[in-house]
Amino acid sequence: MASIFPRMLLAASLALGAAGGAHAAKDLVVGVPDNLTGLDPADLNDNLSQSAARLMFEGLYMLDEHMKLQPQLAESYEASEDAKEFVFHLRHGVTFHDGTPFNAAAVKFSFDRAGNPENHLKRQSLFVMIDHTDVVDDYTVKVVLKYPFGAFVNDIAHPGALIVSPKSVQEYGKEVTRHPSGTGPYQFVSWSADTLKLKKNEHYWKPGLPKIDTITYRGVPENGARIAMLQTGEAQFIYPVPPEMIKSLEHSPTITVFNEPSIFTRYVALNNLRKPFNDPRVREALNYAVDKQAFAKVVFSGYSDPMDSPMPPLLGFYQKQGSYPYDPAKAKALLAEAGYPNGFEATLTGGNNTLVQRGMQFVQQQLAAVGVTLKVEPLEAGVLTAKMFNVQKPEDASIVMLYAGWSSSTGDADWGMRPMLYTKAFPPVLANLAWYSNPVTDAAIEEGLSTTDPSKRAGAYAKAQAQVWKDAPWIFLGVDHNLAAYSKKLHGAFIRPDQQFHLTADADLE
Amino acid sequence: MLDYLIRRLAGTIPVLLAVSIFVFLFVHLLPGDPARLVAGPDASPQDIAAVRADMGLDRPLVVQYLRYLGQTLQFHLGRSIKTHQTVAELIGERFMPTLLLTVFAMLWSVIAGVGIGVLSGARRGHWQDQASMVLAISGISFPGFWLGLLLIDLFSVHLGWLPTGGYGGWQHFVLPAFTLGVGVAAVMARFTRSAFVEITAEDYVRTARAKGVPERRVVWKHTLRNALIPVITLTGLQFGFLLGGAIVVETVFAWPGLGRLLVDSVAYRDYPVIQAEILLFSCEFVLINLIVDVLYGVVNPEIRLR
Repeated sequence: MASIFPRMLLAASLALGAAGGAHAAKDLVVGVPDNLTGLDPADLNDNLSQSAARLMFEGLYMLDEHMKLQPQLAESYEASEDAKEFVFHLRHGVTFHDGTPFNAAAVKFSFDRAGNPENHLKRQSLFVMIDHTDVVDDYTVKVVLKYPFGAFVNDIAHPGALIVSPKSVQEYGKEVTRHPSGTGPYQFVSWSADTLKLKKNEHYWKPGLPKIDTITYRGVPENGARIAMLQTGEAQFIYPVPPEMIKSLEHSPTITVFNEPSIFTRYVALNNLRKPFNDPRVREALNYAVDKQAFAKVVFSGYSDPMDSPMPPLLGFYQKQGSYPYDPAKAKALLAEAGYPNGFEATLTGGNNTLVQRGMQFVQQQLAAVGVTLKVEPLEAGVLTAKMFNVQKPEDASIVMLYAGWSSSTGDADWGMRPMLYTKAFPPVLANLAWYSNPVTDAAIEEGLSTTDPSKRAGAYAKAQAQVWKDAPWIFLGVDHNLAAYSKKLHGAFIRPDQQFHLTADADLE
Repeated sequence: MLDYLIRRLAGTIPVLLAVSIFVFLFVHLLPGDPARLVAGPDASPQDIAAVRADMGLDRPLVVQYLRYLGQTLQFHLGRSIKTHQTVAELIGERFMPTLLLTVFAMLWSVIAGVGIGVLSGARRGHWQDQASMVLAISGISFPGFWLGLLLIDLFSVHLGWLPTGGYGGWQHFVLPAFTLGVGVAAVMARFTRSAFVEITAEDYVRTARAKGVPERRVVWKHTLRNALIPVITLTGLQFGFLLGGAIVVETVFAWPGLGRLLVDSVAYRDYPVIQAEILLFSCEFVLINLIVDVLYGVVNPEIRLR
C-alpha cells in the first residue's frame, strides 16, 4: 500500500492538471444541505431558499454581512415620529431581469401582493401592519401603517419583502416561484431536482458588477460528502459544517474556515404556568445547575458562546445582563428552599437531529447532579410542531420543558423578543412556549414598537431584557456559531449572523 | 398467455385502489399539521389559516379523498405543497436518476452475485467457496453510508478520478452504483449458492453425471437453470426495492432520486408527493411481479403450462 499510494496520487495530479486548463468563466458552486422550497420571496420561510432568492432579488433596504441596515433599491427614507408613515426615495435607472423598469408602482405591487391574505403567501405577517401603500411619483413611495411599528425598515429588509417584477407575477401567477425575476446581480437560469443555476445579470445597476459569472446551488445532504466536494474543488463554498468536523479543515492550505457568532440562541423553555417551574427559585436554580461553558464545549466542540441576555449580542439593542455562573450547591439550596430538597422529575422535549439530541442529553446530565431527573423526548419535526402549537388553552400544554432555539429573521430586537416572551404570543398565536407573562416585559416590548427613535427603542429593550433575565423563564444556554468553509480563491462570501448565505455585490472568484 | 396477462392486470385494480385508500388515510392520520409546517415556525395564525385554506385541508376528509381519487384517475397528481411544482414533474425529474442507478447497480450485482454463487456452490467446501462467502458476508454487513464515504475519500478526494456525487455523466454513476450493488451482490451470491447446492442433490443431476454429461454442462444447464427460479424472484424483489429509491446511497452521493424525495416529503408532510410516490412504488411492484411471472415461464417451460 505504502509503495503504490504515491504513484496513484501522481497519476491523479497529472489527470487533474490536464483537466484544469485555462478557463475564463468564474463559476461558483455552493454546497448546501437541502433542496430549495421555492424562489418567490414572499412565499419562503427557510434560510436556504431565502438566501438564494436574495441573489436574484433586492429589497428597498437590506442587512449587510454584519446585520446592519443598508439602502439597496431605496436611496433614503423618512419616518414620521409616531412610526406610522414611511416615505422611501427610490433608486433611478434600475430594471428587472425581464426588462421592465423598477419604480414606485413595482414596490406598491410587491407589498400589496405579499400582504393580501387572499394570495396565501407565507410572509403575509410581515405586512399586517400596513394600511396602504401610495405611489407618490415614479420614484417615491409612501407606506402608511395601521399602528406604530418602529421596526418597519428592518421589517422590509427581510427577504420576504424583496421586490418582484409585476410583469413576472402577472405572467406566471403562483408559478412565479419557478420563474423569478428581480433586479439583483444574478438572474435565474434553471432549477431542477436539487440544483439551482444562476448567471450574471449583465445589466446590473452597479457598474462593473457582479464579477462572478455563474452560481450553482447544489443540495448535498451528507456532511462528509459536502466537505469532500470542497476538498476536490467541486464546490467553493459549503455550509453548514458540523462542529465536530471543522477541525479536519482547519489546516488545509486551500480552504478557509468560517467561524463567526450567529444570532441563533438555544435555551430550554420552562412552562412557567406549571409546577414546579411556576416558582422563580426553581427556574433560577436550573440556571445555576447548568455549566454553560461546558455546554459550548461538549455539545458544540467550543463553537458556541454562553447566553448573557435573552437576546444574542449581534441583535440590535442587545444589552449584556450578566451570567448565572455554574453553582450546583446554590442550585440545590434554591431547590430545597422552593420545597424540592430531593429534586423532581420532568420530561425535556425537543427535535431529533444530532445536535439537539446531544444538547438535551447534556442538560439531562447536568440537572441529574442537582437531583432533577429528566426524561429526554426527541420528536420528529411534524410531531413536535403539533405538540407545540395544537394548544387552545395554556393549561392544556403538554410540553413542560422544551429544548428550543430562535433566530430573529428581521434582525431586529422586536422579532428577537416578542414572539417568545410576550403575553399575547402564547401558542398557537406565536412561540411563547415558556408561557411567560410579565406586564413589565409586555409594556417594554410594546414601547419598543411604538417609536422609530433608536434611543427610546434601546431603552425599552434594555428594560425588557433585564426583566426577562431576572425572571429566568428559560434555562439560558448558548448562542451558536455559524460554521462554514470555502476555497481561498473566493472573496466576499459570508454566512450572515441570521444563518443566511450572503454574497457581497463585489464578491469574486480568482 | 395473453388471456393470463389480462386477468393478472385486472386483478391489480382492487389492489391499487386499496393502496390509494390506505396511503391517503395513513398520510392524513400522521401527527403533525402540514399547514403549520409549511407556514414555518414563526408564522402567525393568519399565515397558517391562509396556508390551510390554500391546500384544501379545511375540508372534510372524505371530500379530500374523493377529490384526490378523481384527480389521480385523470393523472392529475396535484402540486407539491413544498415547491408548488406539479407532482408529475417533480417525480419525473427524479425517476430517471433512480431508474438508471437501479439498472446499473442491479446489472453488475446480479452478474457478480450469481457468478460468485455458482463458483461457491460448484466448489463447495473448497477455498473458493470459503473466500466467496467471506466476501458475501462482508458485503451484507458493510454499512452503505460508510462504504460510500470511504470510496469518496479514496476515489474523489485522494485520487481525483471520480466526482464526489451528483447526477451527470457515466463517471457520476460509478461510485453510487457500486455502493448500491454491494449488498445486492452479496445477498444474491448467498441465495444462488444455497439454491445451487439444493439442486445439486437432486436425482436428475446425479443421473446427468452418471450418464457422463460433462461437468460444465451439468453446472450451467442442469443445475443453474433450475436454481435460477428463486434467484429471479429475489432479483425482482431487489429491483422493486431499489426502484423505491435507495435513501442512504442517494443521501451520501447527493443523488436526486425518489428515495430522498420521499424522506424530504414525509418530513415536510408534503401529502400529494408522498401519495404519488407510494402509489408509484405499488405500481412498480405489481409490474415487476408480472415480469417475474413471465420470466419463470421462460426459464422453466413447465410453469408456462400451468
